Amino acid sequence: MKTTILTIASSLLLALGLSAAHADTLADVKSKGTLTIGVKNDYPPYGLLNDKGEIVGFEVDLGKYIAKELLGPDGKVELVPVVASNRIEFLNSGRIDIILATLGVTPERAKVIDFSEYYVSAPGPSILAPKSATFSKWEEMKGLTLCGIQGSYFNKHLTEAYGINLTNFKTQPEAYRALKDNRCVGFAFDDMTLRKKTEEADWAGYKIAIDPYEYIPQAAGIRKDDTAFREAVNKAILKAEAEGKLIEWETTYGMPHAKYIAERAEAAKAKLKP
Amino acid sequence: MFNLDYSWLADPVYQGWLIRGTLTTIELAFASSAISFVIGLFGALALTLRIAWLDAFIELFVEVFRNTPPLLQMLFFYFTLSTIGLRVTDPATGVSVPLLSAFACALISLSLFGGALCIEAFRSGLDSLPRAVTEAARSLGYSRWQRFRRIEAPIASRICLPALTNIMTNQFKTTSQASVITVPELMYYAGQIYNDTFRTAEVMILVLFIYVSLVSLLSWGMVRIERALAFPGYGRAH
Repeated sequence: MKTTILTIASSLLLALGLSAAHADTLADVKSKGTLTIGVKNDYPPYGLLNDKGEIVGFEVDLGKYIAKELLGPDGKVELVPVVASNRIEFLNSGRIDIILATLGVTPERAKVIDFSEYYVSAPGPSILAPKSATFSKWEEMKGLTLCGIQGSYFNKHLTEAYGINLTNFKTQPEAYRALKDNRCVGFAFDDMTLRKKTEEADWAGYKIAIDPYEYIPQAAGIRKDDTAFREAVNKAILKAEAEGKLIEWETTYGMPHAKYIAERAEAAKAKLKP
Repeated sequence: MFNLDYSWLADPVYQGWLIRGTLTTIELAFASSAISFVIGLFGALALTLRIAWLDAFIELFVEVFRNTPPLLQMLFFYFTLSTIGLRVTDPATGVSVPLLSAFACALISLSLFGGALCIEAFRSGLDSLPRAVTEAARSLGYSRWQRFRRIEAPIASRICLPALTNIMTNQFKTTSQASVITVPELMYYAGQIYNDTFRTAEVMILVLFIYVSLVSLLSWGMVRIERALAFPGYGRAH
């Protein structure tokens, strides 16, 4: 325990000294007593508006937790709604201190910002199909007809890599109708959405036949070389994981419990054990 | 401002999509125009027989299919007909599947829509025939069918060719609505390409160019046909 505290204290001191030359968000945030967070307000379950018009969600709760860790129990948060196209600009111009807005980790983004620990692994597409379906691998889908949604980012990959014959609709209700009409053997779409569908009574006869072929890690966005702040945020995320907070928030916002989050919780617990 | 980036055109997947989409558009436009033409011809012929119930039926057909949006008709054929029981059992898998494919639904809808317009066009052509011509044919002993085939249809179709050109051009452009029921025509693939590449302006300009070229080619062909078929001196006031 003693060594842990020492390590933290010394790393903090070291970080403070180093970051004097760079952006020092940690010191700024501490002096103003508020953490300004860029969040989504139209993307359940990560960030959405509740009945009272307040922004809530998985990443909003994570942001509030990080603020308390950084600033103590009196720490305040300011939530700034952002969209995919402006969130990095908002961060780098200093309008927000941190992005917690379904930010996927990509090499292009890593050139302009830093990422925190990868706290969520967002699934790509999976396949919803009748329970009687016998396929279980993407490689078995060659030449088969699947329903989809026009404009989905993975359509090209499904056609190109797996030889799937996609029948793409404008909206989800049409695709669901077509699946029930057997116009396609399955519906290839965002895994989280499809998993929620299987819980509906109307869809009891359907299952997730094939799991996503890829997961995209999701992380907080932090200004480049803002080392002290990044380390403090990482520490807070790790603590939240070890306390099982992320699993709790999954339940609060009706998300299916992801293996990735459970595993990270175990790892964090082991890591923080004295 | 004009910073157009067409590098995505080098992708063989997108090239294949554009070619396949264009071919599907052409196929759908020509097949539905041909069927519309036949429906129009026979509908107008039936109207000249002056049979009350047949007249009422054709009138109803024209009103229904000319006065509803083709998009609505497509959605109706695609979703409603299969739900109310127009289905077959696939012998390979034993699963009950809709009888009509997306392409078939679009073809039927466009043919009926175009057919209703063609009936009207042909009827106006037949109506504008000088009475003296039909009387002359009658006095020469032509039967009803012979009169239609040898005298009325040839003259009426020439008179209404410009109207048919209009209908076919419209038919060509209306095929783009078939993307809604997943017919993989030009607009269907265009939408996917600009969603992937974010090159909306570039994709739209290219698609616009393809449509303009195809439809111009079509109307140029129709004008040639019009000229080739024209009776010397008939219907032209020089």
